[in-house]
Amino acid sequence: MDNPLSLEPLFHLGPVPITAPVVVTWAIMLALGLFAALATRRLSLTPGKLQTVLELLVTTVDSQIRDTMQRDPAPFRALIGSIFLFVLIANWSALIPGIEPPTAHLETDAALALVVLAATIAYGIAGRGLGGYLATFAEPSWVMIPLNVVEQITRTFSLIVRLFGNVMSGVFVVGIVLSLAGLFVPIPLMALDLLTGAVQAYIFAVLATVFIGAAVGESHGPAGQDQKDLPR
Amino acid sequence: MTANLIEIVSILAAALAVSFGAIGPALAEGRAVAAAMDAIARQPEAAGTLSRTLFVGLAMIETMAIYTLVIALLVLFANPFV
Amino acid sequence: MTIDWWTLGLQTVNAVVLVWILARFLFRPVSRILAERQAAAHAALDEAEAAREEARAARDTAQRETAAIAAERAARIARAQDEAAQEKRRLLDEARAAAEKARAEGMDDLARLRATQERDLSVEAGALATDIAAKLLARLPDEARIAGFIDGLAEAVAKLPETTRAGIAGGGPVTLRSARALSAEEQAQIAQRLGAVLGTPPALSVETDATLLAGLELETPHAIVRNHFRADLDRIRAEIADHE
Repeated sequence: MDNPLSLEPLFHLGPVPITAPVVVTWAIMLALGLFAALATRRLSLTPGKLQTVLELLVTTVDSQIRDTMQRDPAPFRALIGSIFLFVLIANWSALIPGIEPPTAHLETDAALALVVLAATIAYGIAGRGLGGYLATFAEPSWVMIPLNVVEQITRTFSLIVRLFGNVMSGVFVVGIVLSLAGLFVPIPLMALDLLTGAVQAYIFAVLATVFIGAAVGESHGPAGQDQKDLPR
Repeated sequence: MTANLIEIVSILAAALAVSFGAIGPALAEGRAVAAAMDAIARQPEAAGTLSRTLFVGLAMIETMAIYTLVIALLVLFANPFV
Repeated sequence: MTIDWWTLGLQTVNAVVLVWILARFLFRPVSRILAERQAAAHAALDEAEAAREEARAARDTAQRETAAIAAERAARIARAQDEAAQEKRRLLDEARAAAEKARAEGMDDLARLRATQERDLSVEAGALATDIAAKLLARLPDEARIAGFIDGLAEAVAKLPETTRAGIAGGGPVTLRSARALSAEEQAQIAQRLGAVLGTPPALSVETDATLLAGLELETPHAIVRNHFRADLDRIRAEIADHE
């Protein structure tokens, strides 16, 4: 059984070792970019089927952001929607034989979480100013500053580990069952993986929204308690 | 023997972590599902919203077990003492 | 626990690039088209609102015009009724006047007719009376047609004024008309009676006039003394005509 935590480079691009998740991510980027470019090439006021699906996606993302943040979703739409789409496609890329989801490796999840962290800080500073954003760490009093700083780090870690553990465990369990039982037995587990992957993509996106919303607007409580309204 | 002992302890620790780490989320998921069933029985028209929320909540709870699984895997495959 | 920092860096870059790609090619166009559709829907709603407003204004205008038309119609009807009433009154007046005139003319005609008829009738009655009187007289003895009138003639002459009487007496011949030829005896009797009245018997020239029916008429240059049925009948007829 392979070590799920280590990565072997497939090839080297100059001094840079290129690993499988990077290649898969590039493929996903290429597919998503081409699909988006082709799908949005001819948009009309009377939408076809594909355009209806795209508009449904965009309006759903918008409504989620609006519900969570009570704000105009326009500045956050691209980031949240892209993260959701990428995590969803990456989780589901396990369906293609021979491809391991990039999110089953810690680096990809860490990269996504870092992007979210950076976006949180950037949106917070943009929304409140540098002083205003830093002042949010002193709420409700200056005693909470270490706790708030630690919370920033731990919730980013929990974001990383949640996605990584779910996807990786799915892949891992499927691999174990496959090595034990053979051909058709892992299929229910793979179906469960699909559900888990979709739910995890949704949770990742919602948590990112909550973090950014907390940084931008009124400071929210801990992320986990902010899941009161989940219409979808 | 020392290296073997560390490996044995690591495997035991991983098994203990996963087994005990599964207890809490299992109870929590049971309560969550029970509450969701109760709610659906009271309000069948809200079944769609409830089940969606239930799935998300179960995933959040499951994450706790996943954490222990990650720790177990770390212990098994990325043990710094081996 | 090993983390491949190269992979981490590459994936971070990949994530950022993917966000940019999707923002550029997916979310921005789709949200733009959504906004456009929303704007179009708003425009359509505004247009519909404007159209509704316009329709309401048109309806109000139409109502006003209808009201104006109705008022004008009412005014015209009232005017027409007034005119009709005036015309009717005028026509009535005219008709009444014409009727009045026609009636007056009719009355005149009638009166004229009646007068004519009366005249004719009186003439006829006169003729009839004359005939009756003649026939009645025919039954009397011839003496009665003269003798009964001599006294009357004498009395009538006696009632004449003195000067007239003197004129008669002194004047030339006096014409005496009688209903039939007088006998000498009668002529003498008359002369004698007249002489008694006048003082001197006048010179009588006797004429016979059958239209007198019965009686005598004395004609002098100054006066005519009538004492005969013809005069009586004429007088009676005149009296009857006056009474009517």
